[in-house]
Amino acid sequence: MPTRRSFLAQGGAALTGALLLPVLPGCAPAPLAHIKGQLLGQDAATGHLLRDPGKIPAPTRTIQTEVLIIGGGVAGLSARRWLHRNGQPNTLLVELAAEIGGNAAAGRNAASAYPWGAHYLPVPDVRNTELLDFLQEAGTLTGYAADGRPIYNEYHLCHDPEERLNIQGHWQEGLVPGLGLSAADQAQFARFFKLVETLKVAKGHDGRDAFRIPLDQSSADAEYQQLDSISLADYLACEGFTAPALLWYLNYGCRDDYGATAAQVSAWAGLHYFASRKGLAHNATGSDVLTWPEGNHFLADNLRRQASAPIQTRTLAYDLRETASGVEVLTYDVATRQSTRVQARQVLLATPQHIAHRLLAAVPGHALPPPGTLHHAPWLIANLTVTGLPQGPGRPLSWDNVRYGSASLGYVNATQQSVKQDDGGPKVITMYWPLTDEAPAPARRRAYQTAYADWLPRVVAELETYHPGVTPYIQQADLWVWGHGMVAPTPGLLWGAARQAAMQPVRNRIFFAHTDFSGISFFEEGFYQGIRAAQEILVVNG
Amino acid sequence: MAELLDAPAPEAATAPAGTGGPEARLPGLLLAAVAVIATCGLIYELIAGTLASYLLGDSVTQFSTIIGAYLFAMGIGSWLSKFLEGSLLRWFIRLEILVGIVGGCMAPLLFVSFEYVASFRLLLYTLVGLTGVLVGLEIPLLMRILENRYPFKDLVARVFTVDYIGALLASLIFPLVLVPQLGLIRTSLVFGALNLAVAAVVLARFPETRPYRRRFGVGIAAALLGLSALFVFANKLLAYTETLAFQDQVIYSKSTPYQRIVITRNPRELRLFLNGNLQFSSADEYRYHEALVHPLMQALPLARRVLVMGGGDGLAVRELLKYPHLQSIRLVDLDAGMTELFKHNELLLALNKGSLNNAKVQVINADAYQWIRQDTARYDAVIVDFPDPGNYSIGKLYSAAFYTALAKRLAPGGRLVVQSTSPFLARQSFWCVAHTLAAVGLHTIPYHLYVPSFGEWGYVLAGPDTHWRGDLSPLPPGLRYITPATIHDMLRFPPDMSEVPTEVNQLNNQVLVRYFEEDWGPYVH
Repeated sequence: MPTRRSFLAQGGAALTGALLLPVLPGCAPAPLAHIKGQLLGQDAATGHLLRDPGKIPAPTRTIQTEVLIIGGGVAGLSARRWLHRNGQPNTLLVELAAEIGGNAAAGRNAASAYPWGAHYLPVPDVRNTELLDFLQEAGTLTGYAADGRPIYNEYHLCHDPEERLNIQGHWQEGLVPGLGLSAADQAQFARFFKLVETLKVAKGHDGRDAFRIPLDQSSADAEYQQLDSISLADYLACEGFTAPALLWYLNYGCRDDYGATAAQVSAWAGLHYFASRKGLAHNATGSDVLTWPEGNHFLADNLRRQASAPIQTRTLAYDLRETASGVEVLTYDVATRQSTRVQARQVLLATPQHIAHRLLAAVPGHALPPPGTLHHAPWLIANLTVTGLPQGPGRPLSWDNVRYGSASLGYVNATQQSVKQDDGGPKVITMYWPLTDEAPAPARRRAYQTAYADWLPRVVAELETYHPGVTPYIQQADLWVWGHGMVAPTPGLLWGAARQAAMQPVRNRIFFAHTDFSGISFFEEGFYQGIRAAQEILVVNG
Repeated sequence: MAELLDAPAPEAATAPAGTGGPEARLPGLLLAAVAVIATCGLIYELIAGTLASYLLGDSVTQFSTIIGAYLFAMGIGSWLSKFLEGSLLRWFIRLEILVGIVGGCMAPLLFVSFEYVASFRLLLYTLVGLTGVLVGLEIPLLMRILENRYPFKDLVARVFTVDYIGALLASLIFPLVLVPQLGLIRTSLVFGALNLAVAAVVLARFPETRPYRRRFGVGIAAALLGLSALFVFANKLLAYTETLAFQDQVIYSKSTPYQRIVITRNPRELRLFLNGNLQFSSADEYRYHEALVHPLMQALPLARRVLVMGGGDGLAVRELLKYPHLQSIRLVDLDAGMTELFKHNELLLALNKGSLNNAKVQVINADAYQWIRQDTARYDAVIVDFPDPGNYSIGKLYSAAFYTALAKRLAPGGRLVVQSTSPFLARQSFWCVAHTLAAVGLHTIPYHLYVPSFGEWGYVLAGPDTHWRGDLSPLPPGLRYITPATIHDMLRFPPDMSEVPTEVNQLNNQVLVRYFEEDWGPYVH
């Protein structure tokens, strides 16, 4: 409701405007000129030095470590933590970016902290005890109830209201489309969710769950694994799922989790998204999530803090050779512009596969696929500082806000976990946009070539479809382009032989850990990959 | 002042007497002016009196003192008239312009300034005095202008006849036509414009005004334009005072970053609304606040430190101050707009007895949730008086996580009480609050009473043990509702309000907001 004072202010402004209008002929307003912001992203320039290492100065010093970890994303941090806690604290982690965390990156402004990438963790499966232990130490899990179920920190469980979907201008609760569905469409939704419930409890002949996180603990039964050989879209067509709203919903889920469409990901992966959610908690349900204003940077930072081994950021590993006693890696410190020779007994490549492949150019015996094999869609993330969101009818601002049929995935309210009363001050919303309209490589090239001034109108136009008239309320719009946002589980990737082969250590000197080796890019998978690789290293070291 | 020091215009030269023609009608014109200005004068007095009773209440006192002050100021004006020399006509036109501006702007000025000025009465009586002085100058001045045109006895008879006719006219059209049709602000503006019109007509019709006609004409036009602008503006302004949204007269409205505060008055009571929701009526708020405070405090005869969360009206604190053994009362309210209002507004100070200005009371304007998480003090009693859980933001202040943080601030043996909406109209909501308090390990004592302006209302007392009793120590003298017997009665819930099963309100489910929407839905739509 306009207030008397705001009315006075508006009246004054209108009057001033009316008086000024005649003396400002032909002065068309620039509608986006008031929006401040910049285009951010990974340090691609430094990263690309890897393609041309001749430009990097020769090393001026030599250091030794037991284990060198290359890559400070979730997998690398998880490995470092695991090694530290299991008798191998002598590690060095190098990370190209200025901050650890990989795509669990975050930023902060006067209004709020906000994520630049991954931003939540579903309430975990209670059998994932390593993860629960980590969460307990991070203060996210506060203890266990008498029935053995974990109790989660209420401030970390996503506050209600959690999700809303805009259909034809109306905001409904939840992301499952509910408005305007025919009885037949509703029946298809019911049939799909019944299928999910069946798959959730399904077990293979090997006694393992059909769908499990980490996915390597899922059943090897052909009955389930064959779902990996066809796309989700084909599977749905075969099974008679045709309702447009259901297909939209499932396609949305694939883009959200994998940065790829239902036609691009395997049916196993598409079903895993739903059927692997088996979280239990004393004070939450399996469909609840844990989240923080800064997103999963909270988790990455806690991984970092749960070990004390050194970390060098803004450091590029650009050359890797085997020696008589282990591995020698050359690193380049972007800040000091000096290179270092790092001698290690083992090296853990906690990088995307295409980076690992480049580093191992001179090393035989690995089974990494050549760059370009995996499907990595580019993503655009926009953090928008807004002083208001003109609200259509229906549910109020929620954590996750999606519009039916929209090009982006919608936005998340970074201030959702704040317990402050709303004072009408600025909020930060984070818009997620996987660029899935064309194949990853051309989409990536186009994304890298697009300037801030060209992104901004697209982002604003997208938000306008959610909140008509929102443009004047946008104070700031910072954008981030992820060239290789996340791996997509294309048909055959998860249960083909190549994935298992690629993660095999090379002569017990070179190890691998990254969600690329899982084929799906969840926090739990990165966390698991780090532990798996750390355990392999510990076994070798006896 | 330069204007006043101007040399008088050579009136005799420009206005030769007895030249016949239009000149002969001019005294009649001036008599008509008397009628108009007399009407205007009385209207201003009535506007001031009515406005004062609207905004300050107690209409007998307001009207009586306003009329007295106004008449006294007119007397001063009449006395001052003897100091006006030179061109009397010129003085008269000046005077009419001034009366038009001051009188015309009186109502809008008083309405708008009510919420901004510290002492509204000072402004009110200053304006009444100024208008009175100016109006008091009018008739003596006119009589002096007319003194050579009529014999004295005729002059006095005619002027006062017209004057009193004008007064009668004013007193009839004010309540019957003007207030219902135009409202106070626009009535004030219309009569200001009439004074200006008198100035304009006199300026146009008297030839001796020619030398300064252009200058004064511009002044009158500017003033008329100003009043007209205000007239258009006032129309919209009135819409924003939300007169239509409330059944009673809105006497105060203000938007803070957090809420819209509106106070209305009718002859019986004062009501406070936050975002359109009734917070109290002065007629029965004692029931609500006695029930909020005394069942808790009588059970804590050794209490020294008390925390009040919400309650920026100071009414709960007023009840707390009836326990002289309390050493400190800390009140945490989000909205400085609210606590400042209840610290300084005379009308509201009468209601809360100046409780927020008491030396024992510390007022902190902070977000309750953020504040409680960083607070380190311990309290013997905590009183939680938040608005009803009508949205997800406020719903967090009723969550198990909030009560956990709150319980940590209780001293050993300390207790708290939470206003918990209506167990009759919002039965699930009420019991959800009780169950949420129980879920964090507190022993709860739900109770309720009837507050006529709210209906059945409920509270939940909570503490670490089961030792609470409703007749533990003597109640302060002078309570109007709470006695040991009423406390006993409040504990009983008839079947239509008895306990229903609910979930516990948590940040990640916010069931209370959902219950509240369900419970109140039938009453809103």
